[in-house]
Amino acid sequence: MHTVQQTIQEHEDCLFARICVNNELGLHARPAARIAQEAQKFRCELRLEVKGQEVDAKSILDILSLAAARGSEITLKSRGSDARAALEHMMQVFSCALDEDA
Amino acid sequence: MARDVVYGIAVSAGISIGKAFFINRTSRRHIPRETIPASRAEQEIDRLTAASDMVRDEFEAARAKVPVELREHGAIIDSHLMICQDPKLMLAAATRIRERLITAEWALEQSVETIAAAFSAIDDPYIRERIQDVRVVADRIMQRLLGGYSSTRALAERMVLMAHDLTPADAIELELDKIMSFATSEGGKTSHTGILARSLQIPAIVGVEGLEESARDGELVIIDALRGRILIDPSEEELATYSDLKYQFENYQKSIIRQCKLPGETVDGFRLEIQANIELAEELQSVLDNGGEGVGLYRTEYAFLNRKQPPTEEDLYREYATLAERLAPAKVTLRTLDVGADKMMNSQEKLDEPNPALGLRGIRYCLKHQDVFRMQLRAILRASVHGNVAVMFPMISGLKEVRQARYQLNLVRQELDEQGIPYNPDMPVGIMIELPSAVMIAETLAQEVDFFSIGTNDLIQYSLGIDRANKHVSYLYQPLHPAIVRSIKYVVDAAHRGGIEVSVCGEVASDPYCIPILMGMQIDGVSIAPQAIPGIKRIIRQVNMEECKQLLRDVLSHATVSKINRKVRQTIFKRFPEELTFFASLLDQDD
Repeated sequence: MHTVQQTIQEHEDCLFARICVNNELGLHARPAARIAQEAQKFRCELRLEVKGQEVDAKSILDILSLAAARGSEITLKSRGSDARAALEHMMQVFSCALDEDA
Repeated sequence: MARDVVYGIAVSAGISIGKAFFINRTSRRHIPRETIPASRAEQEIDRLTAASDMVRDEFEAARAKVPVELREHGAIIDSHLMICQDPKLMLAAATRIRERLITAEWALEQSVETIAAAFSAIDDPYIRERIQDVRVVADRIMQRLLGGYSSTRALAERMVLMAHDLTPADAIELELDKIMSFATSEGGKTSHTGILARSLQIPAIVGVEGLEESARDGELVIIDALRGRILIDPSEEELATYSDLKYQFENYQKSIIRQCKLPGETVDGFRLEIQANIELAEELQSVLDNGGEGVGLYRTEYAFLNRKQPPTEEDLYREYATLAERLAPAKVTLRTLDVGADKMMNSQEKLDEPNPALGLRGIRYCLKHQDVFRMQLRAILRASVHGNVAVMFPMISGLKEVRQARYQLNLVRQELDEQGIPYNPDMPVGIMIELPSAVMIAETLAQEVDFFSIGTNDLIQYSLGIDRANKHVSYLYQPLHPAIVRSIKYVVDAAHRGGIEVSVCGEVASDPYCIPILMGMQIDGVSIAPQAIPGIKRIIRQVNMEECKQLLRDVLSHATVSKINRKVRQTIFKRFPEELTFFASLLDQDD
């Protein structure tokens, strides 16, 4: 139930997509660990932006420091050689990591 | 005299004498805060990388060994794994080494403090506390850097394991045959450390104040997990005394364990059902090992707490069906969700009630959230065909609540009928008697249900109006207050007049001073912590009903707690000197 558009868009030298945090606790330790883990598989730069605050998606500590609650709108940005593949993959991970709570 | 004595909460009874062995202790004093020549910077970075790689490998190895029932541990290890590779921690530390020309240890320490400062500004308390995870991981890396990493693998002899806290990864890595007992600075009675120690049947004390400051590695210590204290560097005399006590305790344990499968029957043939209170399926083995005749109180809260999403009906059904199957033909009594007060779900914390113990808890919560309640009742009914299952409602204050709860149960039955899903139509339905109002109308309530279970912990709290966790008034928590004894007797008599069974669950039932009094009232059963079963059974098997009734008469004849306590203490101490040495009693603490 991702109501926000999920298409990849281009802006200058980076690709970006918007996504919404749907789970109750927001980006808590478990999804944050998963996101960082997946992001580290790519060479390109991957960043998350919430309300103007932008952090490194490869850092669990950065992701946690966003304290992104349920309903937060996140912009996922990637820049570099495997940027498109990375973004597609991360969008996938995002929806799974956040849905899976058990 | 010992050099030092420190105190904590005994979570697994016993005595152990041995050398202390600390895992994951980082002494702040020993962190080399030094500058280095520029030529050594890359070397320091390599050390740091090697240390964090080592920790990463350990976490990965531990992750692969997490048993299914400790899934939650797996998730924590996952996040620790990510933290130890985190650029904010590791890259930042490397940059510091290069720019400031300092040791890897100092750079790591500074990076952690920078992250801590950033986290302390976060509003969300859950996220703010994750700094503890960062510290746990950094401490581990620091250990490897300092070369002081202490793996139990290297141990030649069995040691007393000491730690600030045992993280899930620690617990999984431990070579348990090298450990004779545990002591930790953190933790409480229901922490996983406690459960682990009890299942291994080794002594353990948690929440020890001053542990890390007092004990040194390799130092001789006595773990007195009967009274919850640790003697550091004991004297010859203390060693002799405790060796004796250890010997006696082990003999006593062996003898009660040998006899624990015998029925809980008095010398004159009065039979009492001895069941266990548990909250995790992992504890089932300990119920069976200790001679429990079933589970008299299964606290179903665990599946609902500390998780982000409520469990599904399938989750609960599987949990209950497994319990029922493993215990059959013995009974398992499932208490419906009892949250509130000290056990809050996320949604309840948001209510921010001024007085949660008097708030939306127990059956009140369930009647307000009927969807959750019915989902649980469906799971219970579906599980009822897998064994001998009973259901019980907590915190009943009056007749209306019983009827409303039964109404919900009937709705669920109809639903199952319509869907052709089988359940046991005769599943017994009971209630907890734990509020003074329920005591007063026990006679009426007995007409509505199949059994009573008297929850003495809450009954004492609500009757005497004291919060036991509040240290200013905890001295008033008196299980043998005349009002309590009379309330329990009143309920037992009312149940029997109504032709239903009544058992007592709560710490009173596992107190050697109190059990003979309860027996004098002719209760039908008790439900207590699994570890308390063998000792309580032994007392029951040694008394006769006449002496229990006499003791009850004596108790009822006194109007003050101090007189009652004195009388009970005299009588029981003469009869069971051994039990009283090895049992913690609720009465021990007062006058």
